[in-house]
Amino acid sequence: MADNSEPKQKAKPIGGELLLPVAAIVFSIYYFTTITEVPFSAQVSAIFVGSILIFLCALLFLRTYLQVRRGEATLGIGSLIEPVSYIPIRLGLLALTLGFVFLVQWLGFTLTTFLFLSLAMMLLNRGRKKGFIIAVAAALSFGGWLLFIYAFDTRFPAGPFENLMATVL
Amino acid sequence: MEFSPDIFIEQFARTFSFWWVILPSIFLGLIVGAIPGFSAANTIIILLPLTLSMEPETGLIFMIALYASSRMGAGIPAILVNIPGTAGAAATPLDGYPMTKQGKAQQALSISFVSSVLGGFLTTIVALLAMPWLSQVAYYLHSVEMIVIMIFGISLIATIAAKDTLKGLIAGFFGLMIGYVGADVVYEAPRGTFGFLELYDGVPLIPALVGLFAVSEAFAVIEGESILTKSGRELMQKGGWGGTIDGLRETCKRWWHVVWTSMIGLVIGVVPGAGAAIASFVAYQQSRSFSKTPELYGTGHIEGLIAPESANNGVTSGTLIPLLVIGVPGGATAAIMAVVLQYHGITVGPDLFANSPELAYGPFTAMAVTYALMMLTVLPLARYMSNITVISTGYMAPIIIAFTLVGAFVPREYTFDMYLALGFGVIGYIARKTGYHVAAILIGVILGPLLEQYFLRALRIAQGDIMVVFSSTIGNILWCMLALSIIVPYVLDVRRKKARERASAA
Repeated sequence: MADNSEPKQKAKPIGGELLLPVAAIVFSIYYFTTITEVPFSAQVSAIFVGSILIFLCALLFLRTYLQVRRGEATLGIGSLIEPVSYIPIRLGLLALTLGFVFLVQWLGFTLTTFLFLSLAMMLLNRGRKKGFIIAVAAALSFGGWLLFIYAFDTRFPAGPFENLMATVL
Repeated sequence: MEFSPDIFIEQFARTFSFWWVILPSIFLGLIVGAIPGFSAANTIIILLPLTLSMEPETGLIFMIALYASSRMGAGIPAILVNIPGTAGAAATPLDGYPMTKQGKAQQALSISFVSSVLGGFLTTIVALLAMPWLSQVAYYLHSVEMIVIMIFGISLIATIAAKDTLKGLIAGFFGLMIGYVGADVVYEAPRGTFGFLELYDGVPLIPALVGLFAVSEAFAVIEGESILTKSGRELMQKGGWGGTIDGLRETCKRWWHVVWTSMIGLVIGVVPGAGAAIASFVAYQQSRSFSKTPELYGTGHIEGLIAPESANNGVTSGTLIPLLVIGVPGGATAAIMAVVLQYHGITVGPDLFANSPELAYGPFTAMAVTYALMMLTVLPLARYMSNITVISTGYMAPIIIAFTLVGAFVPREYTFDMYLALGFGVIGYIARKTGYHVAAILIGVILGPLLEQYFLRALRIAQGDIMVVFSSTIGNILWCMLALSIIVPYVLDVRRKKARERASAA
């Protein structure tokens, strides 16, 4: 028998759990719009899988609705963003990562990696040990160039440093 | 193609004399296997000028050693930082990474190395002895049978979904939908590509792997100082060789598990195009299905690590069988080997065994010798490799992001693939934070297009009759086995629960 004197459990924020199903439904619908003109056999697998996916998502929405109605959960997105104190760091790292992907095609692997590693490590270590971080970033980016580009001739994105070294060596 | 013990013994002795080729290849293979985007096939292509300049036998031994060790290398980052080096190791972190978080990285690496070596060595010997019969497997497994094998792999989604079935299934089916992006195999009609030409060939696997596992993991781990739990950190500080010896002992104790899961890898490896990813997922799913402690899978269970590692190393010898016996490469690396042999004027196929037995049996003896040498050279490294886990996440996360994103660029040399990896990273991060399993999404992405491909082929052959999936005897046997592998564990689970209830009532 349940103990009524027990304190009521805090409602769990489960709004974040709906993000992926929403994305899945939007993607499935978009996918369906792209297969209207193709032969049936090229549609059949996707229609089958997509319909099941939408059905499963609908079940999850229903489950969430019932949980919220019973007071067991809320539509908050705490589970997704917690710990809140890390939000600026996470966003900063995301911005640096986007910058890395954007710049690597012009600056090349070595310079972009050095910049990214230095800035990202400083961000995550909250500005401490700057000298050590720059040394680590330099060693790793130069080591990466030495191993992958110079030794293995891997086709990494090339930039001024790679072109200069190719001319010199 | 008669098997002669004399040739076998002579071959082994001869292959050992190439230790100077095998040892550097092992370490090179470990490195390229461990970095996403650097498969053995890519490395062999990069080093093709070197390989072609070697004697055919030396070149072949070099390629085989690189191939076998890269398979093992892919499991190292999967265990240490939750990032599989290749899709073949995608099932490895399911239990390998939880062990690392508990401070058992050394033991986990040791288990991975020993099961890889034992599984790889055993299947190589079996392949050598049973080559004529095993080569027939490919003749019997057509589209219909492959559909069932794919569903075996996909049923792992249900296994992963054990904690929250609904969310697990959503993740898996979302992965399948993503896997359907691209032109269909029969009519070449583009589907779900958002207008990107880069997606016409489908979603490339490496960016998906990098994003779902590496990028999302890097963003998730920065919330702590270390990837280790508090007790895990204390365990890691003890150091010593205990973990390596424990791993060796625990794997040897489960030798039968190594045997049957590696055989799954061998048989699946024989089928051209099937590959290590399918083998490791099927082996993991089967291992859990017939385990006495299925509830422990996913929490750092030893058998959950042995199964995928034994299976994906079992695939290595399997892929060579169709190449050598019937001249059809079983995978990308085998196809490159065929090119190298053809360059030297050697035609693979049944005649090779009569004309050049050292080249026909050579790949298998080279593989067996490589595995034997790996046991001696790689196992002691487990202790030192495991120290990576004590590096602060403030340093580790940026390194993971930079090197794996560039790894996503390597296979196709498209900047688009780096953006794609970042996109998958966002999906993976949301999935991790909200209780969806990234491995379930990846299984869908890997198996979705393969399932559709076989399904469309079967439908085309049967002129649209859906009942074709039940038209073959072997296929029907496999369907029964699939049904049993789903029903039996459920029945056993119910029985166990009832027994526990009876025991607690008494």
